[in-house]
Amino acid sequence: MAEEIRAEMVANVWKVVAAAGDTVAEGDTLVILESMKMEIPVVAESDGVLRQLAVNEGDVVQEGDLIAVIE
Amino acid sequence: MTTTSVSADQSTTDYRDPELRLRALFDAGSLRLLMSRDTSGVLWARGEIDGTPAIAYATDATKMGGAMGTEGCQHIVDAIDAAVRERVPVLGLWHSGGARLAEGVVALDAVGQVFAAMVRASGRVPQISVVLGPAAGGAAYGPALTDIVVMSAAGRIFVTGPEVVRSVTGEQVDMERLGGPEPHGRRSGVVHVTTKDDESALAEARKLAALLGRQGRISPADIPAEAEEGHDLSAVMPAEANRAYDVKPVVKALLDAPGVELHAKWAPNVVTTLGRFAGRTVGVIANNPMRLGGCLDASSAEKAARFVRMCDSLGVPLIVLVDVPGYLPGLGQEWDGVVRRGAKLLHAFAEAVVPRVTLVTRKAYGGAYIAMNSRSLGATAVFAWPNAEVAVMGASAAVNILHRKKLAAAPPEEREALRAQLIEEQVRVAGGVNRALEIGVVDDVIKPAETRRRIADAIAAAPAARGAHGNIPL
Repeated sequence: MAEEIRAEMVANVWKVVAAAGDTVAEGDTLVILESMKMEIPVVAESDGVLRQLAVNEGDVVQEGDLIAVIE
Repeated sequence: MTTTSVSADQSTTDYRDPELRLRALFDAGSLRLLMSRDTSGVLWARGEIDGTPAIAYATDATKMGGAMGTEGCQHIVDAIDAAVRERVPVLGLWHSGGARLAEGVVALDAVGQVFAAMVRASGRVPQISVVLGPAAGGAAYGPALTDIVVMSAAGRIFVTGPEVVRSVTGEQVDMERLGGPEPHGRRSGVVHVTTKDDESALAEARKLAALLGRQGRISPADIPAEAEEGHDLSAVMPAEANRAYDVKPVVKALLDAPGVELHAKWAPNVVTTLGRFAGRTVGVIANNPMRLGGCLDASSAEKAARFVRMCDSLGVPLIVLVDVPGYLPGLGQEWDGVVRRGAKLLHAFAEAVVPRVTLVTRKAYGGAYIAMNSRSLGATAVFAWPNAEVAVMGASAAVNILHRKKLAAAPPEEREALRAQLIEEQVRVAGGVNRALEIGVVDDVIKPAETRRRIADAIAAAPAARGAHGNIPL
Protein backbone atom coordinates (compact mmCIF):
# COMPACT_ATOMS: atom_id res chain seq x y z
CA MET A 1 0.00 0.00 0.00
CA ALA A 2 1.39 3.36 -0.98
CA GLU A 3 1.76 5.88 1.78
CA GLU A 4 1.69 9.55 0.92
CA ILE A 5 3.70 11.91 3.06
CA ARG A 6 2.29 15.40 3.04
CA ALA A 7 3.50 18.66 4.52
CA GLU A 8 2.18 19.23 8.05
CA MET A 9 2.67 22.97 7.85
CA VAL A 10 3.75 25.80 5.57
CA ALA A 11 7.53 25.60 5.16
CA ASN A 12 10.52 26.10 2.88
CA VAL A 13 12.24 23.01 1.55
CA TRP A 14 15.75 23.48 2.91
CA LYS A 15 17.42 20.20 2.00
CA VAL A 16 16.41 17.10 0.06
CA VAL A 17 18.14 14.15 1.70
CA ALA A 18 16.63 11.08 0.00
CA ALA A 19 16.01 10.34 -3.68
CA ALA A 20 13.28 8.51 -5.57
CA GLY A 21 14.05 4.79 -5.68
CA ASP A 22 15.77 4.73 -2.27
CA THR A 23 14.84 2.01 0.18
CA VAL A 24 13.83 3.72 3.41
CA ALA A 25 13.03 2.58 6.93
CA GLU A 26 10.59 4.11 9.40
CA GLY A 27 12.21 7.16 10.92
CA ASP A 28 14.60 7.88 8.04
CA THR A 29 14.88 11.54 7.08
CA LEU A 30 13.61 12.27 3.57
CA VAL A 31 13.62 16.05 3.42
CA ILE A 32 14.48 18.86 5.85
CA LEU A 33 12.03 21.74 5.94
CA GLU A 34 12.58 25.16 7.43
CA SER A 35 9.70 26.80 9.26
CA MET A 36 9.11 28.73 12.49
CA LYS A 37 12.92 29.33 12.51
CA MET A 38 13.42 25.60 12.91
CA GLU A 39 14.95 22.96 10.72
CA ILE A 40 12.35 20.23 10.72
CA PRO A 41 13.09 16.80 9.26
CA VAL A 42 10.32 15.00 7.38
CA VAL A 43 10.69 11.32 8.19
CA ALA A 44 9.37 8.10 6.66
CA GLU A 45 6.47 6.74 8.67
CA SER A 46 6.82 3.21 7.32
CA ASP A 47 9.42 0.95 5.73
CA GLY A 48 9.40 0.80 1.94
CA VAL A 49 10.72 2.18 -1.31
CA LEU A 50 10.53 5.87 -2.06
CA ARG A 51 8.39 5.92 -5.22
CA GLN A 52 8.22 9.63 -5.67
CA LEU A 53 9.82 12.73 -4.21
CA ALA A 54 7.63 15.67 -5.11
CA VAL A 55 9.69 18.61 -3.86
CA ASN A 56 12.97 20.37 -4.70
CA GLU A 57 15.25 22.45 -2.52
CA GLY A 58 13.98 26.01 -2.31
CA ASP A 59 10.32 25.10 -2.89
CA VAL A 60 7.66 26.44 -0.57
CA VAL A 61 5.18 23.79 0.54
CA GLN A 62 1.72 24.51 1.88
CA GLU A 63 -0.02 22.38 4.50
CA GLY A 64 -1.24 19.21 2.80
CA ASP A 65 1.12 19.39 -0.19
CA LEU A 66 2.57 16.07 -1.31
CA ILE A 67 6.21 15.57 -0.34
CA ALA A 68 6.83 11.90 -1.03
CA VAL A 69 5.20 8.57 -1.74
CA ILE A 70 6.48 5.39 -0.07
CA GLU A 71 5.46 1.92 -1.25
CA MET B 1 -22.12 -13.26 42.64
CA THR B 2 -20.48 -16.64 42.91
CA THR B 3 -16.84 -17.39 43.14
CA THR B 4 -15.64 -20.44 41.33
CA SER B 5 -12.21 -21.81 40.80
CA VAL B 6 -10.76 -21.81 37.32
CA SER B 7 -12.86 -24.09 35.15
CA ALA B 8 -11.44 -27.56 34.84
CA ASP B 9 -12.32 -27.82 31.19
CA GLN B 10 -9.08 -27.06 29.35
CA SER B 11 -10.16 -28.71 26.10
CA THR B 12 -11.23 -25.52 24.41
CA THR B 13 -8.74 -24.19 21.88
CA ASP B 14 -10.75 -21.31 20.42
CA TYR B 15 -8.40 -18.33 20.75
CA ARG B 16 -11.46 -16.12 21.33
CA ASP B 17 -12.33 -17.97 24.53
CA PRO B 18 -12.66 -15.28 27.21
CA GLU B 19 -11.20 -17.48 29.94
CA LEU B 20 -8.04 -18.05 27.92
CA ARG B 21 -7.76 -14.33 27.30
CA LEU B 22 -8.27 -13.47 30.97
CA ARG B 23 -5.74 -16.09 32.00
CA ALA B 24 -3.21 -14.62 29.58
CA LEU B 25 -3.83 -11.15 31.05
CA PHE B 26 -3.26 -12.04 34.72
CA ASP B 27 -0.15 -13.37 36.46
CA ALA B 28 0.16 -17.14 36.11
CA GLY B 29 -2.08 -18.95 38.55
CA SER B 30 -3.78 -15.80 39.87
CA LEU B 31 -7.03 -15.96 37.84
CA ARG B 32 -10.24 -16.43 39.85
CA LEU B 33 -13.51 -16.36 37.91
CA LEU B 34 -16.17 -14.40 39.78
CA MET B 35 -19.11 -16.04 38.00
CA SER B 36 -20.04 -19.37 36.48
CA ARG B 37 -19.54 -19.59 32.76
CA ASP B 38 -22.84 -18.88 31.05
CA THR B 39 -24.32 -17.80 27.72
CA SER B 40 -24.38 -14.09 28.57
CA GLY B 41 -21.43 -13.28 26.31
CA VAL B 42 -19.33 -11.87 29.18
CA LEU B 43 -16.96 -13.38 31.73
CA TRP B 44 -15.33 -11.50 34.61
CA ALA B 45 -12.61 -12.36 37.03
CA ARG B 46 -10.17 -11.22 39.64
CA GLY B 47 -6.44 -11.72 39.44
CA GLU B 48 -3.06 -10.11 39.85
CA ILE B 49 -0.98 -8.10 37.44
CA ASP B 50 2.68 -7.94 38.44
CA GLY B 51 1.47 -8.83 41.92
CA THR B 52 -1.08 -5.99 42.00
CA PRO B 53 -4.75 -6.94 42.41
CA ALA B 54 -6.98 -6.11 39.45
CA ILE B 55 -10.38 -6.99 38.03
CA ALA B 56 -11.09 -7.75 34.38
CA TYR B 57 -14.05 -8.61 32.19
CA ALA B 58 -14.01 -10.08 28.69
CA THR B 59 -16.71 -10.24 26.08
CA ASP B 60 -17.18 -13.80 24.84
CA ALA B 61 -16.87 -13.77 21.05
CA THR B 62 -17.73 -17.47 20.95
CA LYS B 63 -21.32 -16.62 22.05
CA MET B 64 -23.20 -14.70 19.32
CA GLY B 65 -20.01 -12.86 18.36
CA GLY B 66 -19.73 -11.38 21.84
CA ALA B 67 -22.94 -9.39 21.38
CA MET B 68 -24.04 -7.60 24.56
CA GLY B 69 -27.38 -8.46 26.16
CA THR B 70 -28.95 -7.75 29.53
CA GLU B 71 -27.12 -10.46 31.43
CA GLY B 72 -23.72 -9.81 29.90
CA CYS B 73 -23.98 -6.09 30.51
CA GLN B 74 -24.91 -6.73 34.14
CA HIS B 75 -21.70 -8.75 34.52
CA ILE B 76 -19.67 -5.82 33.19
CA VAL B 77 -21.44 -3.42 35.57
CA ASP B 78 -20.73 -5.83 38.46
CA ALA B 79 -17.05 -5.97 37.50
CA ILE B 80 -16.69 -2.19 37.33
CA ASP B 81 -18.59 -1.63 40.59
CA ALA B 82 -16.44 -4.24 42.36
CA ALA B 83 -13.27 -2.53 41.15
CA VAL B 84 -14.49 0.82 42.49
CA ARG B 85 -15.33 -0.75 45.89
CA GLU B 86 -11.93 -2.42 46.08
CA ARG B 87 -10.06 0.52 44.52
CA VAL B 88 -8.27 -1.63 41.96
CA PRO B 89 -7.78 -1.16 38.22
CA VAL B 90 -10.43 -2.67 35.95
CA LEU B 91 -9.57 -3.95 32.50
CA GLY B 92 -11.94 -4.85 29.67
CA LEU B 93 -11.08 -7.26 26.87
CA TRP B 94 -13.27 -6.41 23.89
CA HIS B 95 -14.43 -8.55 20.97
CA SER B 96 -18.09 -7.82 20.39
CA GLY B 97 -20.53 -6.94 17.64
CA GLY B 98 -22.44 -4.57 19.91
CA ALA B 99 -25.90 -4.83 21.43
CA ARG B 100 -27.89 -8.08 20.97
CA LEU B 101 -30.38 -7.34 18.21
CA ALA B 102 -32.77 -10.09 19.32
CA GLU B 103 -33.21 -8.42 22.71
CA GLY B 104 -34.15 -5.14 21.10
CA VAL B 105 -34.33 -1.99 23.15
CA VAL B 106 -33.77 -3.98 26.37
CA ALA B 107 -30.21 -4.60 25.17
CA LEU B 108 -29.73 -0.91 24.39
CA ASP B 109 -30.83 -0.07 27.93
CA ALA B 110 -28.32 -2.61 29.27
CA VAL B 111 -25.46 -1.20 27.18
CA GLY B 112 -26.38 2.25 28.43
CA GLN B 113 -26.02 0.99 32.00
CA VAL B 114 -22.50 -0.21 31.19
CA PHE B 115 -21.64 3.28 29.98
CA ALA B 116 -23.11 4.80 33.15
CA ALA B 117 -21.03 2.43 35.32
CA MET B 118 -17.88 3.43 33.42
CA VAL B 119 -18.58 7.09 33.99
CA ARG B 120 -19.30 6.49 37.70
CA ALA B 121 -15.89 4.81 37.97
CA SER B 122 -14.13 7.46 35.89
CA GLY B 123 -11.33 9.14 37.81
CA ARG B 124 -11.82 6.76 40.77
CA VAL B 125 -10.07 3.65 39.47
CA PRO B 126 -7.95 3.22 36.33
CA GLN B 127 -10.00 1.77 33.47
CA ILE B 128 -8.07 0.13 30.63
CA SER B 129 -9.58 -1.40 27.49
CA VAL B 130 -7.92 -3.94 25.23
CA VAL B 131 -9.55 -4.33 21.83
CA LEU B 132 -8.70 -7.76 20.46
CA GLY B 133 -11.33 -8.08 17.72
CA PRO B 134 -14.15 -6.04 16.25
CA ALA B 135 -15.86 -3.77 18.78
CA ALA B 136 -18.83 -2.30 17.00
CA GLY B 137 -21.72 -0.04 17.90
CA GLY B 138 -22.23 -0.07 21.65
CA ALA B 139 -19.02 -2.04 22.06
CA ALA B 140 -17.15 0.83 20.37
CA TYR B 141 -18.23 3.40 22.93
CA GLY B 142 -17.37 1.13 25.85
CA PRO B 143 -13.60 1.31 25.29
CA ALA B 144 -13.89 4.95 24.22
CA LEU B 145 -15.25 5.90 27.67
CA THR B 146 -12.30 4.35 29.52
CA ASP B 147 -8.99 5.98 30.37
CA ILE B 148 -6.73 4.07 28.00
CA VAL B 149 -7.50 1.97 24.90
CA VAL B 150 -4.99 -0.62 23.66
CA MET B 151 -5.66 -2.18 20.25
CA SER B 152 -4.12 -5.33 18.83
CA ALA B 153 -3.59 -5.79 15.07
CA ALA B 154 -6.92 -7.64 14.79
CA GLY B 155 -8.82 -4.98 16.75
CA ARG B 156 -11.46 -2.86 15.00
CA ILE B 157 -13.63 -0.08 16.41
CA PHE B 158 -16.48 1.49 14.49
CA VAL B 159 -20.01 2.72 15.03
CA THR B 160 -21.37 1.22 11.82
CA GLY B 161 -19.74 -1.56 9.81
CA PRO B 162 -18.61 -1.52 6.18
CA GLU B 163 -21.93 -2.81 4.83
CA VAL B 164 -23.98 -0.08 6.45
CA VAL B 165 -21.46 2.52 5.34
CA ARG B 166 -21.72 1.16 1.80
CA SER B 167 -25.52 1.19 1.74
CA VAL B 168 -25.82 4.66 3.22
CA THR B 169 -22.94 6.62 1.72
CA GLY B 170 -21.85 4.40 -1.15
CA GLU B 171 -18.26 4.36 0.21
CA GLN B 172 -16.37 1.10 -0.36
CA VAL B 173 -14.27 0.48 2.72
CA ASP B 174 -13.07 -2.56 4.65
CA MET B 175 -13.12 -3.02 8.45
CA GLU B 176 -9.42 -2.36 8.82
CA ARG B 177 -9.47 0.95 7.01
CA LEU B 178 -12.69 1.94 8.75
CA GLY B 179 -11.63 1.17 12.30
CA GLY B 180 -8.30 -0.66 12.54
CA PRO B 181 -5.16 0.33 14.46
CA GLU B 182 -3.96 2.64 11.69
CA PRO B 183 -7.00 4.98 11.49
CA HIS B 184 -7.59 4.97 15.24
CA GLY B 185 -3.93 5.16 16.22
CA ARG B 186 -3.04 7.95 13.79
CA ARG B 187 -6.18 9.83 12.74
CA SER B 188 -9.04 9.63 15.23
CA GLY B 189 -7.16 9.42 18.53
CA VAL B 190 -9.61 6.76 19.80
CA VAL B 191 -6.78 4.32 20.48
CA HIS B 192 -3.83 5.13 22.78
CA VAL B 193 -1.57 2.15 22.12
CA THR B 194 -1.44 -0.11 19.05
CA THR B 195 0.37 -3.44 19.08
CA LYS B 196 1.36 -6.07 16.54
CA ASP B 197 -0.56 -8.95 18.15
CA ASP B 198 -2.82 -9.96 21.04
CA GLU B 199 0.06 -11.05 23.24
CA SER B 200 1.77 -7.65 23.12
CA ALA B 201 -1.59 -5.88 23.56
CA LEU B 202 -2.09 -7.74 26.84
CA ALA B 203 1.54 -7.04 27.81
CA GLU B 204 1.05 -3.28 27.29
CA ALA B 205 -2.21 -3.37 29.26
CA ARG B 206 -0.39 -5.14 32.09
CA LYS B 207 2.33 -2.46 32.16
CA LEU B 208 -0.30 0.28 32.27
CA ALA B 209 -2.32 -1.44 35.01
CA ALA B 210 0.83 -1.85 37.10
CA LEU B 211 1.84 1.80 36.58
CA LEU B 212 -1.60 3.12 37.52
CA GLY B 213 -2.56 0.47 40.07
CA ARG B 214 0.65 0.53 42.08
CA GLN B 215 2.13 3.99 41.75
CA GLY B 216 4.81 3.72 44.42
CA ARG B 217 6.48 6.47 46.44
CA ILE B 218 8.87 9.03 45.06
CA SER B 219 12.35 8.62 46.41
CA PRO B 220 14.66 11.50 45.38
CA ALA B 221 17.52 10.05 47.43
CA ASP B 222 17.75 7.23 44.90
CA ILE B 223 18.76 9.74 42.24
CA PRO B 224 22.37 10.98 42.33
CA ALA B 225 22.76 14.77 42.30
CA GLU B 226 24.58 14.49 38.97
CA ALA B 227 23.21 12.54 36.03
CA GLU B 228 23.94 8.83 35.86
CA GLU B 229 24.83 7.02 32.67
CA GLY B 230 21.92 7.15 30.22
CA HIS B 231 20.09 9.82 32.22
CA ASP B 232 21.74 13.01 30.96
CA LEU B 233 18.85 14.73 29.22
CA SER B 234 20.95 17.24 27.30
CA ALA B 235 23.17 14.52 25.83
CA VAL B 236 20.41 13.50 23.43
CA MET B 237 19.65 17.04 22.26
CA PRO B 238 21.33 18.82 19.34
CA ALA B 239 23.88 21.56 20.00
CA GLU B 240 22.28 23.97 17.51
CA ALA B 241 19.28 25.80 18.95
CA ASN B 242 17.39 25.84 15.64
CA ARG B 243 17.79 22.14 14.91
CA ALA B 244 14.71 20.03 15.43
CA TYR B 245 15.14 16.76 17.35
CA ASP B 246 13.04 13.87 18.53
CA VAL B 247 12.10 14.44 22.17
CA LYS B 248 11.39 10.76 22.87
CA PRO B 249 15.00 9.92 23.82
CA VAL B 250 14.88 12.91 26.20
CA VAL B 251 11.76 11.49 27.86
CA LYS B 252 13.48 8.12 28.05
CA ALA B 253 16.53 9.67 29.75
CA LEU B 254 14.24 11.45 32.22
CA LEU B 255 12.45 8.29 33.35
CA ASP B 256 13.97 5.46 35.41
CA ALA B 257 13.17 3.00 32.61
CA PRO B 258 11.29 3.33 29.31
CA GLY B 259 7.61 4.10 29.96
CA VAL B 260 4.50 3.58 27.86
CA GLU B 261 3.78 6.32 25.36
CA LEU B 262 0.10 7.06 24.78
CA HIS B 263 -1.20 8.35 21.44
CA ALA B 264 2.28 7.95 19.90
CA LYS B 265 1.11 8.52 16.33
CA TRP B 266 -1.84 10.83 16.85
CA ALA B 267 -0.95 14.52 17.34
CA PRO B 268 2.75 13.53 17.58
CA ASN B 269 3.90 17.12 18.12
CA VAL B 270 3.25 16.56 21.80
CA VAL B 271 4.42 13.39 23.57
CA THR B 272 2.45 11.91 26.50
CA THR B 273 4.12 9.06 28.39
CA LEU B 274 3.43 7.20 31.62
CA GLY B 275 6.48 5.83 33.36
CA ARG B 276 8.40 5.52 36.61
CA PHE B 277 10.49 8.39 37.91
CA ALA B 278 12.47 8.06 41.14
CA GLY B 279 10.42 4.94 41.76
CA ARG B 280 7.03 6.61 41.38
CA THR B 281 4.57 6.62 38.49
CA VAL B 282 4.48 9.99 36.71
CA GLY B 283 2.99 11.39 33.53
CA VAL B 284 5.35 13.20 31.17
CA ILE B 285 4.15 15.77 28.66
CA ALA B 286 6.74 17.00 26.16
CA ASN B 287 6.68 19.13 23.02
CA ASN B 288 8.27 17.26 20.13
CA PRO B 289 10.21 19.68 17.88
CA MET B 290 10.54 16.88 15.31
CA ARG B 291 6.86 17.22 14.46
CA LEU B 292 5.34 20.54 13.37
CA GLY B 293 8.42 22.17 14.90
CA GLY B 294 6.97 21.28 18.29
CA CYS B 295 4.13 23.79 17.86
CA LEU B 296 0.96 23.21 19.82
CA ASP B 297 -2.12 22.81 17.66
CA ALA B 298 -5.76 21.89 18.17
CA SER B 299 -5.24 18.11 18.32
CA SER B 300 -2.09 18.11 20.45
CA ALA B 301 -3.61 20.52 22.98
CA GLU B 302 -6.63 18.25 23.29
CA LYS B 303 -4.44 15.15 23.60
CA ALA B 304 -2.33 16.73 26.33
CA ALA B 305 -5.42 18.07 28.12
CA ARG B 306 -6.99 14.63 28.37
CA PHE B 307 -3.71 13.17 29.60
CA VAL B 308 -3.35 15.88 32.26
CA ARG B 309 -6.91 15.28 33.47
CA MET B 310 -6.44 11.51 33.56
CA CYS B 311 -3.25 11.83 35.61
CA ASP B 312 -4.83 14.40 37.93
CA SER B 313 -7.92 12.27 38.55
CA LEU B 314 -5.77 9.20 39.32
CA GLY B 315 -3.25 11.09 41.47
CA VAL B 316 -0.30 10.83 39.10
CA PRO B 317 2.22 13.74 39.29
CA LEU B 318 3.18 15.47 36.05
CA ILE B 319 6.50 16.47 34.52
CA VAL B 320 6.27 18.93 31.62
CA LEU B 321 9.21 19.31 29.20
CA VAL B 322 8.81 22.55 27.30
CA ASP B 323 10.39 23.46 23.97
CA VAL B 324 7.62 25.22 22.12
CA PRO B 325 7.75 27.94 19.45
CA GLY B 326 4.05 28.78 19.80
CA TYR B 327 0.65 27.75 18.53
CA LEU B 328 0.53 26.62 14.91
CA PRO B 329 -0.78 29.51 12.79
CA GLY B 330 -3.23 29.19 9.94
CA LEU B 331 -6.77 29.03 8.66
CA GLY B 332 -6.92 25.26 9.07
CA GLN B 333 -6.06 25.53 12.75
CA GLU B 334 -8.52 28.31 13.49
CA TRP B 335 -11.32 26.42 11.75
CA ASP B 336 -10.23 23.21 13.47
CA GLY B 337 -10.91 24.88 16.80
CA VAL B 338 -7.40 25.68 18.03
CA VAL B 339 -9.00 28.22 20.37
CA ARG B 340 -11.73 25.94 21.75
CA ARG B 341 -9.53 22.84 21.91
CA GLY B 342 -6.48 24.79 23.06
CA ALA B 343 -8.55 26.15 25.94
CA LYS B 344 -8.93 22.56 27.20
CA LEU B 345 -5.21 22.42 27.96
CA LEU B 346 -5.33 25.70 29.88
CA HIS B 347 -8.31 24.39 31.85
CA ALA B 348 -6.71 21.01 32.50
CA PHE B 349 -3.46 22.42 33.91
CA ALA B 350 -5.12 25.20 35.87
CA GLU B 351 -7.46 22.77 37.66
CA ALA B 352 -4.84 20.05 38.32
CA VAL B 353 -3.89 19.55 41.98
CA VAL B 354 -1.26 16.83 41.56
CA PRO B 355 2.38 17.95 41.87
CA ARG B 356 3.35 19.25 38.42
CA VAL B 357 6.83 20.43 37.56
CA THR B 358 7.84 22.25 34.38
CA LEU B 359 11.26 22.31 32.75
CA VAL B 360 11.97 24.72 29.88
CA THR B 361 14.78 23.08 27.93
CA ARG B 362 15.19 25.51 25.02
CA LYS B 363 12.33 27.92 24.46
CA ALA B 364 8.82 28.81 25.53
CA TYR B 365 7.09 31.47 23.47
CA GLY B 366 3.79 33.26 23.63
CA GLY B 367 0.47 31.61 24.34
CA ALA B 368 2.03 28.17 24.17
CA TYR B 369 4.34 29.17 27.03
CA ILE B 370 1.29 29.80 29.20
CA ALA B 371 -0.38 26.55 28.14
CA MET B 372 2.60 24.35 29.01
CA ASN B 373 2.06 24.38 32.78
CA SER B 374 3.38 27.87 33.42
CA ARG B 375 3.72 29.48 36.84
CA SER B 376 0.51 31.43 36.20
CA LEU B 377 -1.46 28.18 35.74
CA GLY B 378 -0.22 26.97 39.11
CA ALA B 379 2.87 24.89 38.38
CA THR B 380 4.46 23.37 41.49
CA ALA B 381 7.87 24.47 40.22
CA VAL B 382 9.22 25.88 36.96
CA PHE B 383 12.84 25.17 36.08
CA ALA B 384 14.84 26.24 33.03
CA TRP B 385 18.17 25.22 31.60
CA PRO B 386 20.82 27.98 31.33
CA ASN B 387 20.37 28.65 27.60
CA ALA B 388 16.58 28.57 27.67
CA GLU B 389 14.56 31.45 26.35
CA VAL B 390 11.19 32.49 27.76
CA ALA B 391 9.57 35.25 25.76
CA VAL B 392 6.49 36.43 23.93
CA MET B 393 8.16 35.39 20.69
CA GLY B 394 11.61 34.74 19.25
CA ALA B 395 13.89 37.79 19.13
CA SER B 396 14.04 38.03 15.33
CA ALA B 397 10.27 37.77 14.95
CA ALA B 398 9.83 40.38 17.67
CA VAL B 399 12.24 42.76 15.95
CA ASN B 400 10.39 42.43 12.65
CA ILE B 401 7.20 43.56 14.34
CA LEU B 402 8.49 46.11 16.86
CA HIS B 403 10.86 47.81 14.43
CA ARG B 404 8.98 47.35 11.16
CA LYS B 405 9.02 51.06 10.30
CA LYS B 406 12.62 51.59 11.32
CA LEU B 407 13.72 48.63 9.20
CA ALA B 408 11.66 49.76 6.22
CA ALA B 409 13.14 53.26 6.44
CA ALA B 410 16.72 52.03 6.51
CA PRO B 411 18.64 51.94 3.22
CA PRO B 412 18.47 48.39 1.80
CA GLU B 413 22.24 47.87 2.07
CA GLU B 414 22.19 48.68 5.79
CA ARG B 415 18.98 46.87 6.62
CA GLU B 416 20.45 43.49 7.55
CA ALA B 417 23.13 45.02 9.76
CA LEU B 418 20.47 47.06 11.53
CA ARG B 419 18.29 43.99 11.93
CA ALA B 420 21.17 42.04 13.49
CA GLN B 421 21.87 44.88 15.90
CA LEU B 422 18.22 45.18 16.90
CA ILE B 423 17.97 41.43 17.46
CA GLU B 424 21.00 41.53 19.72
CA GLU B 425 19.40 44.36 21.68
CA GLN B 426 16.09 42.50 21.89
CA VAL B 427 17.80 39.37 23.24
CA ARG B 428 19.53 41.47 25.88
CA VAL B 429 16.36 43.26 26.98
CA ALA B 430 13.62 40.66 26.62
CA GLY B 431 15.22 37.37 25.72
CA GLY B 432 16.94 34.60 27.58
CA VAL B 433 15.75 33.38 30.90
CA ASN B 434 16.87 36.18 33.22
CA ARG B 435 13.80 38.34 32.95
CA ALA B 436 11.56 35.31 33.63
CA LEU B 437 13.69 34.48 36.66
CA GLU B 438 13.55 38.08 37.88
CA ILE B 439 9.75 38.25 37.90
CA GLY B 440 9.46 34.76 39.38
CA VAL B 441 7.81 32.83 36.56
CA VAL B 442 10.90 30.63 36.49
CA ASP B 443 11.94 29.45 39.96
CA ASP B 444 15.45 28.39 39.20
CA VAL B 445 17.94 27.84 36.42
CA ILE B 446 19.33 24.34 36.71
CA LYS B 447 22.06 22.35 35.00
CA PRO B 448 20.94 19.58 32.66
CA ALA B 449 22.93 17.04 34.70
CA GLU B 450 21.03 17.80 37.93
CA THR B 451 17.62 17.84 36.23
CA ARG B 452 16.31 14.51 37.48
CA ARG B 453 17.27 15.16 41.07
CA ARG B 454 15.83 18.68 41.14
CA ILE B 455 12.53 17.58 39.61
CA ALA B 456 12.31 14.65 42.05
CA ASP B 457 12.96 16.98 44.99
CA ALA B 458 10.24 19.36 43.80
CA ILE B 459 7.67 16.59 43.41
CA ALA B 460 8.58 15.05 46.78
CA ALA B 461 8.25 18.42 48.52
CA ALA B 462 4.76 19.07 47.15
CA PRO B 463 1.76 17.68 49.04
CA ALA B 464 0.32 14.54 47.40
CA ALA B 465 -3.11 15.31 46.03
CA ARG B 466 -5.63 13.99 43.59
CA GLY B 467 -8.19 15.86 41.51
CA ALA B 468 -11.81 15.21 42.44
CA HIS B 469 -13.17 14.80 38.94
CA GLY B 470 -13.76 12.18 36.27
CA ASN B 471 -11.78 11.74 33.09
CA ILE B 472 -14.10 12.72 30.27
CA PRO B 473 -12.65 11.53 26.93
CA LEU B 474 -11.91 15.05 25.67
